[in-house]
Amino acid sequence: MSQLAALQPNNLPTPVQEEWKYTNLPKSIPAGLSALQPEPHSIHRNRGQTGGEPVQLLWTGREGTLQAPVLKVVLEEGADLTLIERHDGKGSYWKNMTTEIIVGANAKFNHVRIQNDDANAVHTNMVRVTLARDGTYNGFALNLGGKMMRHEIHAILNGANIECSFNGLNLANGQQHTDTTILMEHKAPHCRSNQFYRTVLDDSARGVFQGKVHVHKPAQKTDGYQLSNAILLSDKAEMDTKPELEIYADDVKCSHGATTGQLDEEPLFYLRSRGLTDAQARLLLMDAFVDEVVDKIEDEKFKTIIQQQAQEWLHKALSK
Amino acid sequence: MLKINNLHASIETDEGTKEILKGINLEIGDGQVHAIMGPNGSGKSTLSYVLAGREDYEVTKGSIELDGKNILELPPEERAAAGLFLAFQYPVEIPGVNMSTFLKTSVNAVRKQRGQEELDALAMLKLIREKSKELGISDDMMKRAVNVGFSGGEKKRNEILQMAILDPKFCVLDETDSGLDIDALKIVADGVNKMRGQNRSFLVITHYQRLLDYIKPDVVHVMAAGKIIKTGGPELALELEAKGYAEFVGKAA
Repeated sequence: MSQLAALQPNNLPTPVQEEWKYTNLPKSIPAGLSALQPEPHSIHRNRGQTGGEPVQLLWTGREGTLQAPVLKVVLEEGADLTLIERHDGKGSYWKNMTTEIIVGANAKFNHVRIQNDDANAVHTNMVRVTLARDGTYNGFALNLGGKMMRHEIHAILNGANIECSFNGLNLANGQQHTDTTILMEHKAPHCRSNQFYRTVLDDSARGVFQGKVHVHKPAQKTDGYQLSNAILLSDKAEMDTKPELEIYADDVKCSHGATTGQLDEEPLFYLRSRGLTDAQARLLLMDAFVDEVVDKIEDEKFKTIIQQQAQEWLHKALSK
Repeated sequence: MLKINNLHASIETDEGTKEILKGINLEIGDGQVHAIMGPNGSGKSTLSYVLAGREDYEVTKGSIELDGKNILELPPEERAAAGLFLAFQYPVEIPGVNMSTFLKTSVNAVRKQRGQEELDALAMLKLIREKSKELGISDDMMKRAVNVGFSGGEKKRNEILQMAILDPKFCVLDETDSGLDIDALKIVADGVNKMRGQNRSFLVITHYQRLLDYIKPDVVHVMAAGKIIKTGGPELALELEAKGYAEFVGKAA
């Protein structure tokens, strides 16, 4: 297994590179950060090791630092794990994380990520997920924080009958920039992959969703699905979406879709004709919009926590 | 109950402003049921939207009074609170909002605006159960998102359910019969007939005479090209059915 490459502070990607075209990282990095030693953290589940409480990890950013957390999760054959990863912090910093996940044969990984870094922080996370046959990865990311955040995911589906899902909710306001970039590589037949992201942007926030499904020649009977829906609450908000399919197998089912817009007038009018005020109707529809993706989280406790955080954000945004 | 006076309304289209309602006059007394019939494109649905307060339409002239109060300046929710209800021709699907949340929010929003106490969970459940049972609406339907995956008949029954629990005094039924088989039509008509009374009036918009066999109107109007061109008793509907719209529309042109 090759080493997962972290972003190098002295050699940052720029928008000239295709996969970075919407995100100007060098411009966002605060000056004069002091680099800390990498903080490795490893979770290992042995063969057949199942059950138990969810594992919780908290990564806290510190003013004026460049942190490089390294997370490695290995699930051996038949193991399962639920991991709740939280990010917070205070001040201006760059949290530059690499995450390597290896899901063994018939293993199952539920991964929930709540990113609520400081509004002055930069958060980058390079994630690589490698799955073996019959493995399942179910990921959910709530991105709330950071002035600039990029979640880059590269999944490699190496065996048959894998199920791999990346779902997420991006909520951004002010000058925030939130970028989700996914490469889903199908290398074996009979696998299913899902990407379902919802984004709500307020003020001058900018959202990026780039999702690519790459189906290699041996990956017959692939079922690949990708959907990004964004709602803009302000005229100054911007969403850039780049859905891509690259298919070399000839018997696959792949679909992708992307929408960006405002709340539809039809349901708004319907609700108002039933007595809901404009504000009530908007809130109900926005709650429904985010709930549909939050519903993908399997862990009931964290589903509720994320629902509450999302609702809080929406109530604030809509009651301005 | 409801008085429409010289109502003109237009909509912005790609080809410019288009006037759709060209001087509607209508007076519906307490407890009355009026039917409006007319061919496609006569402005029937526009009238229903303008009554309910849809903002895409601009009212350029005239007035709509509900119990003597001009409602044209009111937003849709305040019209609902004032007792106006529109059963939509095409009920809107709202993914992610389940039926019971929707009904509860709606009932309490209306009650609050009317100065009534909001219903607690138990009273709400009882009200919804009772009314949905009468309309043959299953518990399963109540668990689904509003109108999502509903059949045509289920959507229309859902409209009547909302009408029943919101306790309006003036109801507009916009082609509620369209696309219904005879059994579904009877359920819907029963629901409406149960609600008829001295303090409630109905405006039933329909393309077909069939509905009026089940909901007996007091007055029938024929609408064409944005105007009411003929008014009569229930026999007018039969005459229309026999002769077709062409003769009436021809006279109007």
